[in-house]
Amino acid sequence: MTVIWFRLKCIGLLNRGQRNISIFSNATPSNLNKVVSDAEKIVGYPTSFMSLRCLLSDELSNVAMHVRKLVGTKHPLLSTARGFIYDSRKNLQMRGLVVLLMSKAAGPSQHTASDLLPQDMVSGIYPSQRNLAEITELIHTAFLVHRGIVNLKEWTNSDGPLKDMQFGNKMAVLSGDFLLANACTGLAQLNNTKVVELISSAIGDLVQGIYHEIPNRLEDNSLTDEINMVTWEEQTFLSHGALLAKSCQAAMELAKHDKDAQGLAYKYGKHLSLGHKLNSDLQLFVKSSSADPVTFSFNSAPVAFHRQIVGQERWCHQLQQAKTIGRQMDYTKLRSTIKLEKGVTSTIDLCRYHGNKALESIQCFPSSEARSALENIARAVTKF
Amino acid sequence: MAIPWRHCWRWTIGATSTSVLETICGFNGRSATFAASSFRGTGAGTGSGKEGLSSRPVDTTSIGNYILTSRHKSRLLYPTPKPCCSKGIHSDAKLKDPFSLAQKDLNHLYDDIKKELFVSKSELKSLCDYYFDGKGKAFRPMIVVLMARACNIHSNRDGDLLPGQRSIAMISEMIHTASLVHDDVIDGSNKRRGMTTINEVWGERKAILAGDFILSAASMALARIGNNTVVSVLSQVIEDLVRGEFMQLGSKENESERFKHYLEKTFKKTASLIANSCKAVSILVNSDPEVQEIAFQYGRNVGIAFQLVDDVLDFTACASQLGKPSATDLKLGLATGPVLFACQQFPELHAMIMRRFSTTGDVDRAWQYVLESDGVDQTNYLAQSYCREAIRQISLLRPSPERDALIRLTEMVLTRDK
Repeated sequence: MTVIWFRLKCIGLLNRGQRNISIFSNATPSNLNKVVSDAEKIVGYPTSFMSLRCLLSDELSNVAMHVRKLVGTKHPLLSTARGFIYDSRKNLQMRGLVVLLMSKAAGPSQHTASDLLPQDMVSGIYPSQRNLAEITELIHTAFLVHRGIVNLKEWTNSDGPLKDMQFGNKMAVLSGDFLLANACTGLAQLNNTKVVELISSAIGDLVQGIYHEIPNRLEDNSLTDEINMVTWEEQTFLSHGALLAKSCQAAMELAKHDKDAQGLAYKYGKHLSLGHKLNSDLQLFVKSSSADPVTFSFNSAPVAFHRQIVGQERWCHQLQQAKTIGRQMDYTKLRSTIKLEKGVTSTIDLCRYHGNKALESIQCFPSSEARSALENIARAVTKF
Repeated sequence: MAIPWRHCWRWTIGATSTSVLETICGFNGRSATFAASSFRGTGAGTGSGKEGLSSRPVDTTSIGNYILTSRHKSRLLYPTPKPCCSKGIHSDAKLKDPFSLAQKDLNHLYDDIKKELFVSKSELKSLCDYYFDGKGKAFRPMIVVLMARACNIHSNRDGDLLPGQRSIAMISEMIHTASLVHDDVIDGSNKRRGMTTINEVWGERKAILAGDFILSAASMALARIGNNTVVSVLSQVIEDLVRGEFMQLGSKENESERFKHYLEKTFKKTASLIANSCKAVSILVNSDPEVQEIAFQYGRNVGIAFQLVDDVLDFTACASQLGKPSATDLKLGLATGPVLFACQQFPELHAMIMRRFSTTGDVDRAWQYVLESDGVDQTNYLAQSYCREAIRQISLLRPSPERDALIRLTEMVLTRDK
């Protein structure tokens, strides 16, 4: 095991010049980190080691060897792999943790079934629920990997040799598929076809959400598309909320909790994810740390709000104003422009709204350590 | 010509060639029963080919020639198993054509699959629907529905499909298509079935997502059947497909290991889907594990034969017939059946295999070697053996038109030219 961690760490250490699509640009506030690490104690073990079994498989160590060849190239898979194991602070396996906490907060099953015996519970969580948490993380990771595939037709000389991109794509497709396949067999072993259906539909949602993220033009940010916050929320739910919402619901189903409990769990998952995404989009706009280079997506929440508020014409004008003499985008200047309007505050309001909705749902569960942890997470997500 | 024959036995048999000869000599209307164990994933045994032959005081010449001539003819015409198997095994009630028998069940298959691909964004929808245009061979669903009916009849029910069985036909085609979409990205292909590939038109990122979506839809449909065992069986296929793809990444040093690796990879990439779909439909109608095993083994053997023939066609068919260019496997660095057999006669191929035909001129030279050798014949012959085993298995089921169609289908696998 140490050999593989070491090998992958080496990739991280030796890496240079990666493409600037940082999959881990979800900056997280430090208080959320603290809340999460406190919460991990409640569920019995550090969740950063989930899917260890999968990571140690022959196939993935095979991939690790091949990924070494990508060192020095600009393929995004390298930064995904790096982010995955290099820095545990940034590597929050939050989804899995939330599923575990939810399982514990909901308590033991009211049904007597052979696979729901009290003695099988570890730290108040059934084995099937633990497996589900792991499967959720597997799916999340699979799509992180699949997001890191590049369109070969958009390759330019500055990306390095074409064959590196081709090779990186191949590795990304295969490892993503491998993780998904493991998720599928894991789901089958849960022996609950309702859960299989629910999680499969979450995968479908994820695909649709991510599909929207892919720009249709060669430029990274589409300049002339109208944006609408309702659509924004729908799409963001698909790409960032559906998996956690449905996993929480599925965790309830596994313990045969009733429809109400399932609904509450779903709501918590949904609102927490949306709140978290809004929070991470806001980081660049509420902190003024000059450490990170400023660059942001025009589809991130504060910018999307801003575009809706000022309208297309003014937005295009502002974009023009923010270009330097060399026709490059001056993101710092653009950010200042955005901060002058109501985009940022609207986003903060929306974030608080979702955080409160999450709180509301979880407070319907009986009081417990796990419930408090979930409340803390919901509150941490709305703090700035 | 005797030499290639001996080589063939060396590859296919764990048992000695004497028992094979016995089988050949002794088969008067019995199906040729090669030791089933020789096909359970073991590849090249180093059988005592030569000694066995010479020590056996049997007039092998006439039988040998008989088989050899039919194989020789088959170099161009693709062998039918006539001399080796069909005579007298099953009554010659008209063997129904599998396509027409399966027709009514498959009629709206593609339309129904498209209904499962429920997605709001219209572009993603067109990507997902792209290969479900009804122009594919629908080979896998056909096997599935025929097997379902054959099992139903065997189990004392009328032949009609249970709803879950029809779903499985759809699901198998969806899983197959999803894997094709990903394979095209991995291989960098720009043509499939005469159409431009999805990755060529819309780019790799969208292609991968489309494949993932089709898979998720298949998984939902699978769950809705409501049977946990069926879900497990077909989820295993998804894992096998990926593992098979990984197996293709690596090459084996050892010659005898190589063939075994090739057969195992062939099972995972091609036969597993067919075998497990057949098993799944049998599970829905019959709890007897022997029946499920028959279904599985039929699917497995037909699947392997299918892939072997596919590998042969890569060398022999020309581009226009296949809808995609040939010698593709060589160009991808893959050493398939014909190449592995040709290695025997042209040891130069070993080094080329190890470097995956990467040196300039390797592909052309290898292609030449293969066509000069009997690699194609041997692979065809091996495919025939798998088909014989498939027939043996399926013949254990109660007679029915569908069962006979499945038998007829093995011939079609061997004689197809695209």
